[in-house]
Amino acid sequence: MVNFVFKFFIAISCLLIFRGLLAEPLLDGADFDYGEYLSGQCLTCHQSSSDEGIPAINGAEALYIAKKLILYKNKELENEVMQLVASALDKEQIASLAIYFNSLEK
Amino acid sequence: MNNLSRRSFVSFALASTSLLAMPAISTGSARPKVVVVGGGAGGATAARYIAKDSKGAIDVTLIEASKHYYTCFYSNLYLGGFRDYDSIGHSYDNLSANHGVNVVHDWAISVDSAARKVRLGSGATVSYDRLVLSPGIDIKYDSIDGYSVEAQTKMPHAWKSGTQVKVLRDQVLSMPKGGTFAMVPPPNPYRCPPGPYERISMVAHILKERNPTAKIVVIDPKNKFSKQGLFMAGWEKHYPGMVEWIDNDTHGGIKNVNPETMEIETDLDTFKADVACVVPAQRAGAIAMNAGVTDGDWSPIVPASMQTKADGNIYVLGDASVASAMPKSGFSANSQAKVAANHIRGELTDSRVFPAKFSNTCWSLVATNDGIKVGANYKAGEEKIEVVDKFVSKTDEGNAKRKKTYEESIGWYNGITTDMFS
Repeated sequence: MVNFVFKFFIAISCLLIFRGLLAEPLLDGADFDYGEYLSGQCLTCHQSSSDEGIPAINGAEALYIAKKLILYKNKELENEVMQLVASALDKEQIASLAIYFNSLEK
Repeated sequence: MNNLSRRSFVSFALASTSLLAMPAISTGSARPKVVVVGGGAGGATAARYIAKDSKGAIDVTLIEASKHYYTCFYSNLYLGGFRDYDSIGHSYDNLSANHGVNVVHDWAISVDSAARKVRLGSGATVSYDRLVLSPGIDIKYDSIDGYSVEAQTKMPHAWKSGTQVKVLRDQVLSMPKGGTFAMVPPPNPYRCPPGPYERISMVAHILKERNPTAKIVVIDPKNKFSKQGLFMAGWEKHYPGMVEWIDNDTHGGIKNVNPETMEIETDLDTFKADVACVVPAQRAGAIAMNAGVTDGDWSPIVPASMQTKADGNIYVLGDASVASAMPKSGFSANSQAKVAANHIRGELTDSRVFPAKFSNTCWSLVATNDGIKVGANYKAGEEKIEVVDKFVSKTDEGNAKRKKTYEESIGWYNGITTDMFS
């Protein structure tokens, strides 16, 4: 029994590591033009340079933006406005926003 | 070269240059023309996005009478002393300098939708391929017996920012000790649903500091209001005993107001005020009425594009539109403007048109560092703009969270005004 549990544990660990190595690229399906359109929703609040009250996101790393949006979508980061915004974004939209904001000057 | 031949030569030269520079534009020698009427959250945003994103392929004219725009949002914070007046004023200079928008400071008087022309106060006409109307609200002065254009000096509505808010602030600051401030909020639907209640909070904030024995009475034509639980808990916490809110069922209806005696008469009682803010019912700005794109007081729109149901060449944004579930707010107008801008570019330059996506958040300030908010996502249904998801602040959240919400609202103010005017 112990042996079985051990093997099971090893198998699960390998699976998780394998999945990690082959992690679905967060920026797959990114569409620059779509990102530009969707960014309009963000730019009602996010300024290009000032962090006062709401952080600036222009020029941020694309993966950083995508990961943050996923965390808000999963309600793992707090802020009702951002949770609401992210909840309405699918994977392609998140990727599109990430590459678009990354392209903007800080 | 006589005048006629000189003109012909210039026309030929311009046409040749345009054809060489922009051969892809379907209208031939001239760029497609968009005229935007109204330079607020809807109009300024639409003009900026169409000009910016079309990269000069569309000729954009913005018609706005005022040279400086004083935002309605945050005008309550000016009233409460949290902002100075200049900080809520913005110029249109960057729209011309950065994006090539032709800004014309004039009134749009009428629309000839068959000829696709807008007539201005100066008598000049401006042609359009697509027209965006974002005129905001007009006050229905005759919706309250006794109220009038003249009465607004004595009983300011202060619902369109600008000098009216200055008048109201001066009146509150010079109110007699222990006096009464009366507020008559508007009936639904109206611009900025939480606005009257944020205003009450800001007046209470001033009175608590300068005139703590004064009272505020709210004579509401409604039985409930936006963020009601949050506001009422806030009034009790910060201004205990100062604010009395009377709903329509209790007072039985507002019969009339008298600016000379400063009285507000209801079925229940006659209230005498030292300062009164009276906000009548509202309707779409006159140019939307004139253009023939309204049904009743407001303009029905196609949710996917913000085109009017009456005329596909005319779009109506913001307060003047029937946006169904979306409140009449600056945030909503800004959101709708981007949907319209994307659609107009697609129609005029064959650029890609993406599905409509709308959102809104309304922040309100109850007291120093006590900010609250309500927000929602929306989608374009067949007939109406529909709510997808929403949130509202909680009554039991801590002081730190409320302070952060207020700070967030400052970020939003800077963000939206940059999005409109930079």
